[in-house]
Amino acid sequence: MAEDRARPGELDQTKYDADDSVKIICLGDSAVGKSKLMERFLMDGFRPQQLSTYALTLYKHMATVDGKTVLVDFWDTAGQERFQSMHASYYHKAHACIMVFDVQRKVTYKNLHTWYTELREFRPEIPCIVVANKIDADIKVTQKSFNFARKFSLPLYFVSAADGTNVVKLFNDAIRLAVSYKQNSQDFMDEVLQELENFDLEQKAAGDPAPDREQRGAVEGPAPS
Amino acid sequence: MTCTAKKCGIRFRPPAIILIYENEMKGKNRQRIMPVRNFSKFSDCNRAAEQLKNNPRHKSYLEQVSLRQLERLFSFLRGYLSGQSLAETMEQIRRETTIDPEEDLNKLDDKELAKRKSIMDELFEKNQKKKDDPNFVYDIEVEFPQDEQLQSCGWDTESADEF
Ligand SMILES: Nc1nc2c(ncn2[C@@H]2O[C@H](COP(=O)(O)OP(=O)(O)O)[C@@H](O)[C@H]2O)c(=O)[nH]1
Ligand SMILES: [Mg+2]
Repeated sequence: MAEDRARPGELDQTKYDADDSVKIICLGDSAVGKSKLMERFLMDGFRPQQLSTYALTLYKHMATVDGKTVLVDFWDTAGQERFQSMHASYYHKAHACIMVFDVQRKVTYKNLHTWYTELREFRPEIPCIVVANKIDADIKVTQKSFNFARKFSLPLYFVSAADGTNVVKLFNDAIRLAVSYKQNSQDFMDEVLQELENFDLEQKAAGDPAPDREQRGAVEGPAPS
Repeated sequence: MTCTAKKCGIRFRPPAIILIYENEMKGKNRQRIMPVRNFSKFSDCNRAAEQLKNNPRHKSYLEQVSLRQLERLFSFLRGYLSGQSLAETMEQIRRETTIDPEEDLNKLDDKELAKRKSIMDELFEKNQKKKDDPNFVYDIEVEFPQDEQLQSCGWDTESADEF
């Protein structure tokens, strides 16, 4: 968990601390349509930045929320999803998550569980939207209930990157959620946790195992109001 | 030249792609026979389709025939040359051109994944509303209420505490 902070030069994430900047991550299995959704939202305006060493694509976007300009970085995976796990730095400082499955493939729905579990290990509080993509292929799915979203009280969006249904709404809502999450920030809590981790590390004698995620979870208290 | 493609098929012996089309003189069907040369059971159907489509002599006639259809026709020829029955070839084509919904695509390497994506692209492109379409709308919002009466998607029911 600490290693992503040890490489500031390569992938500087301190900018996400600035008031006008948010980070939104995409999760989901291979070929569910994450990249197509990004492209549909950004249209010609998209300027993807490939970071191949991280198997990562960054899309930069400028949005206006309540009259204020917000710089949005969308993080999209570029192959790493095949391991059904992302590097810690992918989650680091994220303010919202867009989690996609393919309505034509059950495995991608089932795997939401794995994605969600990992997301919550790193970012217990950030808003997360569940996205049922490719509804153009089978519009009847929009008449069905999907318990995953209900079980975790997550909003569910039916979208199509192909015909565009609800894509713009999805991304604009995600940006709003990210901004409002940031304003009522849990980031403060995360910083405190990091301090605690460092403290913990310093306390331990060399050779002791580093604190694992369980321990991190254990020091988590209720969020400050 | 204005040429409206009507039908496109393949002849096995001697191998040729055959196009039925209509030219300026509406109502009169014509036939164009495009011989297939240097094609064996080891040939690459995609390459062969591309070559034919770009062949300077046939190009203008094949504008309306998709690369995928040509590729499929070459697959029939290849099946024939390898001694497969028509049914076997059709099954093979079906496998190569459809997505197995049970397959875990996370397990594939880049090349295989790209193949699956290109199969998916067929429907994607068919349903795609492009920016230059006259009736293109950037922000399309449709509400699909998730109320209690809905029927389950059928993917939740395997065990009681699973979603
Ligand atoms: N029919 C349909 N196909 C889609 C849609 N979105 C993506 N696809 C197809 O799914 C394939 C994988 O999409 P991609 O964005 O590369 O998935 P990613 O691996 O999650 O980034 C694409 O090649 C498209 O053909 C959609 O909304 N409708
Ligand atoms: Mg992608």
